[in-house]
Amino acid sequence: MTGGTEAPVEAAERPRLSLRFSARDLLRVAIFAVIFIVVTYVIGMLGILSPLVWLLIVPVQAIVGGVVVMLFLTRVGHAGPLALFGLVVALFYLLSGNTVLSTAVILVLAVLAELLLWAGRYRSRWAAIWAYTLFGLSFFTPFLPLVLDREAYFATSSWTEMGEDYVRASDALLSAPVIGALAGGILVAAFLGGLLGSAILRKHFVRAGLA
Amino acid sequence: MSAPASPELASPSRALPVVLARERGLDPRTKILLVVACSIAVMSPQGSRFVPFVLLLAVGLAVAERAWRRAIGLPLAALAMWVLGWLLPGWWPNPVTAILSIACVYLIRFVAAIGVGAHLIATTSPTRLAAALRAWRIPRPVSVTLAVMLRFFPVVAAEAAAVLDAMRLRGLAGAGGLVRHPVLSVERFTVPMIAASLRASEDLSASAILRGLGSRRVPTAMHPPRFGVADLVLVPVVAALVAGALLLPAPLA
Repeated sequence: MTGGTEAPVEAAERPRLSLRFSARDLLRVAIFAVIFIVVTYVIGMLGILSPLVWLLIVPVQAIVGGVVVMLFLTRVGHAGPLALFGLVVALFYLLSGNTVLSTAVILVLAVLAELLLWAGRYRSRWAAIWAYTLFGLSFFTPFLPLVLDREAYFATSSWTEMGEDYVRASDALLSAPVIGALAGGILVAAFLGGLLGSAILRKHFVRAGLA
Repeated sequence: MSAPASPELASPSRALPVVLARERGLDPRTKILLVVACSIAVMSPQGSRFVPFVLLLAVGLAVAERAWRRAIGLPLAALAMWVLGWLLPGWWPNPVTAILSIACVYLIRFVAAIGVGAHLIATTSPTRLAAALRAWRIPRPVSVTLAVMLRFFPVVAAEAAAVLDAMRLRGLAGAGGLVRHPVLSVERFTVPMIAASLRASEDLSASAILRGLGSRRVPTAMHPPRFGVADLVLVPVVAALVAGALLLPAPLA
């Protein structure tokens, strides 16, 4: 996992571990969190069409998020910003109808991803890709209540309002294998998103002087 | 117009107390609580019975801040959702209207929640939000980040809309393109949008830092958050709306 491009950094010492944020860090987290939310919402709007489209859209969101997060991670040189990013994104999701459980899980994922970055000394490209792969699982969190308490899930939240047919179609569609496949799909999509992100980084942003 | 049209231009020595009283409106903390409460109520299992009352509250807030466009636009949007979601499938049942109906029945909750959220965004400057979060003893990194996000949202949303417009102009937007060339459409949308947003954010960041955003000293607020008459008036209004939502028969069953 630690393979990659950071072979000659032996001389460089481990980056500072303090959780102090400079003003630039905070602004950076804010702007990337906003971009992340807007991008995933623009894509997610398509999912209202039908349950099947919705399932297909979620991995696409995970891929697109990768572009944003990978660019964000190139600008992070120390501990903290990714966890803070996860926190503010999770708070925003809480406002837009997510459950408290999902919010907590997103936060845990962000902290775990932060540990991966730390293992890569905040310089390794591969550590960043794996960190996003883990963080990308946050797109699975809206489905968590479905795994834990299936009956309640369809009785609650927005589902009762989606109409009988929609719920029945979703109930049939969202069976255990499909949910498992979805989790796997999101994981793969997040990994691809990390790869795509770092490719797009090189193709566009490095060239434009933005990375 | 007897009152000074723009408070900033009024002479500070005499007009300040008046301006403070007039400018205040709701305390930012009240607005945050209101948004959270409305969002949870509307998105909850029995959320639909809260929708009309949250809408009423949102329109009332818009009228109170004299945002006439929102005061008229919100009921119109909700009415459109109601017609498409509840009436149209009855008049003309077919698969297309059924899908449209499902979407609108769901979206009407967002119309209500966004109406209240728009009041928070329109009437709260990032500095006031930061002062309110500070009063709640929220850690500095979180409070500053949230306040800055509030400032960035319109910027990034405008850039996203501009990129989508440009894509539409070239016939690249839409679900069809996304299915046929997922990676390419993603790239065409995200790259210009991120680049444009980052460029716009550079200036904002520089000015925010110049004004002492990241300073470690606790800043004093020009308008310290204080609960006032408006917040007191809101309490019975919200109580009446909640009672109405719980006791009256739900109109959007």
